Amino acid sequence: MKRSVCSGCSLLCDDIMVKSDGIYIDEVFGACLKGKEKFDQVTSQNRILSPLIRKDDTLQKASWDEALQRTVDLIKKSKKPLIYGLSNSSCEAQLKGIELAKLINGFIDSNASICQGKVLDNAVNSGITLTTITEIINKADLILLWGSNAAESIPRLLNKVLFSRGKFRMTGREIKTLIIIDPVKTASFNTMGVRDVALRITPGKDIELIKVLKEECCAADSIPSEGVAGLDKDDMKRLLQHLSGAEYGVIFVGQGLLTPQKNSNLINELLELVQMINIKQERGRITLAMMGGHFNMNGFDHVALSMYGKRGNLHFKDNQILETDENIISKIENEDFDCSIFIGTDPISHFPMSLSSKLAKKPIILIDNRNSATLQLASIVLPTTITGIECSGLAYRLDHIPIELKKIINPPSKIPTDEEILNQIIQKLKSDGGN
Amino acid sequence: MELYKYLPKTNCKLCGKTCMAFALDLLQGKVKADDCPPLLEPKYKKQYETLKELLGSEEGVEKELRINVDTDLCDGCGICVTICPVNARYCPPSLSGKAPDYPPEKHQLFQVKGGKCELLELKYCRRIEAEGRERECRVCETYCPREAVKIEYV
Ligand code: SF4
Ligand code: SF4
Ligand code: SF4
Ligand code: SF4
Repeated sequence: MKRSVCSGCSLLCDDIMVKSDGIYIDEVFGACLKGKEKFDQVTSQNRILSPLIRKDDTLQKASWDEALQRTVDLIKKSKKPLIYGLSNSSCEAQLKGIELAKLINGFIDSNASICQGKVLDNAVNSGITLTTITEIINKADLILLWGSNAAESIPRLLNKVLFSRGKFRMTGREIKTLIIIDPVKTASFNTMGVRDVALRITPGKDIELIKVLKEECCAADSIPSEGVAGLDKDDMKRLLQHLSGAEYGVIFVGQGLLTPQKNSNLINELLELVQMINIKQERGRITLAMMGGHFNMNGFDHVALSMYGKRGNLHFKDNQILETDENIISKIENEDFDCSIFIGTDPISHFPMSLSSKLAKKPIILIDNRNSATLQLASIVLPTTITGIECSGLAYRLDHIPIELKKIINPPSKIPTDEEILNQIIQKLKSDGGN
Repeated sequence: MELYKYLPKTNCKLCGKTCMAFALDLLQGKVKADDCPPLLEPKYKKQYETLKELLGSEEGVEKELRINVDTDLCDGCGICVTICPVNARYCPPSLSGKAPDYPPEKHQLFQVKGGKCELLELKYCRRIEAEGRERECRVCETYCPREAVKIEYV
């Protein structure tokens, strides 16, 4: 029985007990179903164990040497390679990914950029602190879930932040107020008590709510009597009272708010609202926490920040970093790439049709451990280990705390890790010269 | 009083007292619903059944507490593990929302195993052990986000 960390989502629960003989995982205690499914991936039907290359338009098994040679040949031919993914890899692998991007003058971006984007930058710039899970457990008395179905995406989040009895919140659930703003009644609504506030907002109207709340902060009684965004006036007043009366309030910003929307600066408006409330605050303050999906969603930002002093995507030219406003979406939209390398991600199924069709037109190199739509279209597939189960590594939790993931079992068929694969590609590119 | 509402309220005294007195006796378990003859008539059928239901466990036959966890619905979020006051008392990690240590403490009621909640030992549930208002505990059922926990008496 070993204590271990679950890499099922960005909460990175470190209280999991795993029973294993070093080859198989027998039993997992403490992890939720999503986490358990991650452990099950080791022996899943979906697992790929051998390198694959496309010959005569079908994917066929190949040797490592052949697959690696093909990868390097393809990269050498490419003028504008795209590297994307890495949110399901360790920080060590992310570092290698950046090294590869620099060597081949590519554009590298992680999954985080399409959901969190510049939120972190903007929050830090406007002086709003992000909080940590430990602080929430011990201090928080108000939890606001905004556009996030916590019970679904991070199953154990509410258990930790809402039901725990922290140092200064000994009575636990009773002393904490839960507010949910969501257009649909998600499973999270079932955890509400009598004093909590459920706000069923009209889809896509969050921006209007924020604007009215901001006005109300400046001058009382500016909420229109008929309400906005499907919410009535009293509810909004209560919401504001709770926010400005909390000793330690946390807003969990979910996918609903993070998904980039055209022509609207939702997140900046929200940050301004938080600033305004914090000025009005008498007893405490409001902080933010971001709900990531993949387990190392935040890692790439930290690695990029430590290497090049900026968060998010990196664009290299002449082995130098290039200032750019572009992101993965604009790159694909403008078809500004001629080959893509995906690591631990499935963009063909996750991106909208308009983007995935463009991706499909160019050769794809995939480094991943499971079958996916992207795999079906790939030119070369390199199988990899499952980080956090078959190899160790560093990852950043959703609250930006580094957590060390441990290896539990050996990978099947001596499969290399993401880091090793990327390193092999780099070494081979270097020894082959060119580019 | 709730029980009184469902009696015929005619004060016919067939039971030897007034309806109100009968209701009080019912509450204390001194009489049974069947001891009121008019109540057995078809026109009071609905009221009779409601009464039977209300009296449930208090009536003669011992009813046994069951806590059912529907493993099809449960997703192992661990909220029941954390919120159960018995767990909180005997498993310190659950105070901060963590999974209790393994092997389970002997009082521990729930644990999450293989991604699903598992009921370990009902014996120490407050509904059996505690006195007074604490005996009415049902927080595990109330807060389960998947509505997977059901407290029943069978
Ligand atoms: S909440 Fe996330 S990290 Fe925690 S056990 Fe579930 S999947 Fe794993
Ligand atoms: S027999 Fe029934 S209806 Fe008649 S007085 Fe008694 S309780 Fe009331
Ligand atoms: S609270 Fe409900 S969903 Fe969560 S572990 Fe318990 S039974 Fe399962
Ligand atoms: S009823 Fe209360 S004491 Fe009994 S299992 Fe549920 S939470 Fe625990």
